[in-house]
Amino acid sequence: MNTSPTLQSLLAITLMVVIAYGSRVLGLLVMSHIPLGPNVRRFVDAMSSSVLIAVITPMVVHGDGGARLAAIAAGTVAIVLRSPLASIGVGMACAAFWRWWLV
Amino acid sequence: MMLPLAAFTVAFGLAFGVAAAHQGLSHWEAMSMSLFVFAAPSQFAALELWDSPLPILALAAITMAIHTRHMLMSAALYPWLKLLSKRQQFAMVIFLTDSSWAMAMAEYHRGERNLGILLGGGIALWCAWVVGTAIGLAFGGEITEPERYGLDVIMLCFLLMIVVGGNSRAVMALPWLASALSALMAYWWLPPYLHVVIGALVGGVVALLLPGRWFGAVTS
Repeated sequence: MNTSPTLQSLLAITLMVVIAYGSRVLGLLVMSHIPLGPNVRRFVDAMSSSVLIAVITPMVVHGDGGARLAAIAAGTVAIVLRSPLASIGVGMACAAFWRWWLV
Repeated sequence: MMLPLAAFTVAFGLAFGVAAAHQGLSHWEAMSMSLFVFAAPSQFAALELWDSPLPILALAAITMAIHTRHMLMSAALYPWLKLLSKRQQFAMVIFLTDSSWAMAMAEYHRGERNLGILLGGGIALWCAWVVGTAIGLAFGGEITEPERYGLDVIMLCFLLMIVVGGNSRAVMALPWLASALSALMAYWWLPPYLHVVIGALVGGVVALLLPGRWFGAVTS
C-alpha cells in the first residue's frame, strides 16, 4: 500500500474502533433474535469464561517466572480472599519481586 | 469495589502508554486508541503488530478474534437490557469492558437491577484508562522497563481473578481444561490469536456435551 503512514494508522484505528464497538452491539442484536433456551445459555456461559481461559493459558505457559508466580499468587488470593484489589496487588508485587531479586 | 479497580486501570493505562511510546506510536495514535477503542487486550495486541507498513488485515482479524469475547458479554447482558429501547441498549454497551461487565454481572446475580452499575462503572474505568494512558505517554521515557514494576501482569492477574473469583464451579473443570489445552495447541500450531476463538468454542461445546443435569442445580 502506498498510503501515507498517518492515513494508515488512521485507517487501522478506525477499523479497530468499528470492530470493538460492533462486537459489543452484535451480541445484543444476535440475542434479540435467538430464543434463550437452556442449551444456548449453557453454551454462552461456558464460552464466556473459556474465552478468558484461552487468553490466559499461553500467557502463563510462555511467560517468565515472574508472570507464572504472579498468576499462581493472584489466583490463590482471588479464591481465598475474593478481593480483586488484593489479588492484582499481590500478583504485581510477586512479578516485580521476581524480576528485581531473582533474575 | 469500583474505585480500587479504577486505580488499577490507571496503572494499566500507564503501562499501555509506556509500551506505546516504546513501540514508536505517536501520542495521538495511542490516545485515540485509548479514547475510542477502549479495550486493553486488543490495544496491546495492536502494539505488537505496529510496524510500518501496518498489517491492516491482520490487525482487523486479531481485533475481531479478541472481541468475540465482548460479543458474548453483551449477549449475556441482554436479559438485563431487553426492557430498554434499542437506542438505549446500544448506548449502554459503549463503555462495556471485561472488568465493568464482570462486576455488573456479579451484582446482577445478587439481585441488583440498577443499570447505573454497568454504565457508571464503565465510564469510571474509561476515564481511568484515558488518564493512565496520558500519564504513561507523558512519562514513558522515564520508565524504561515497565515489567520490572510488574505493570505487565496486571492484565493477567485481572483476567485470572475474574475467572476463578467469578463462577468457579466444579462442573466447569472439564470445559476449562479442554479450553486451555486446545488454546495452547492452537497457539503453537495455528496463525496468531486464533487460539482465543478456538479455546472459547471448545469450552462452550464441551459444556454442551456434558450431561445437562450436572448444570441443572445451579442455573442462574
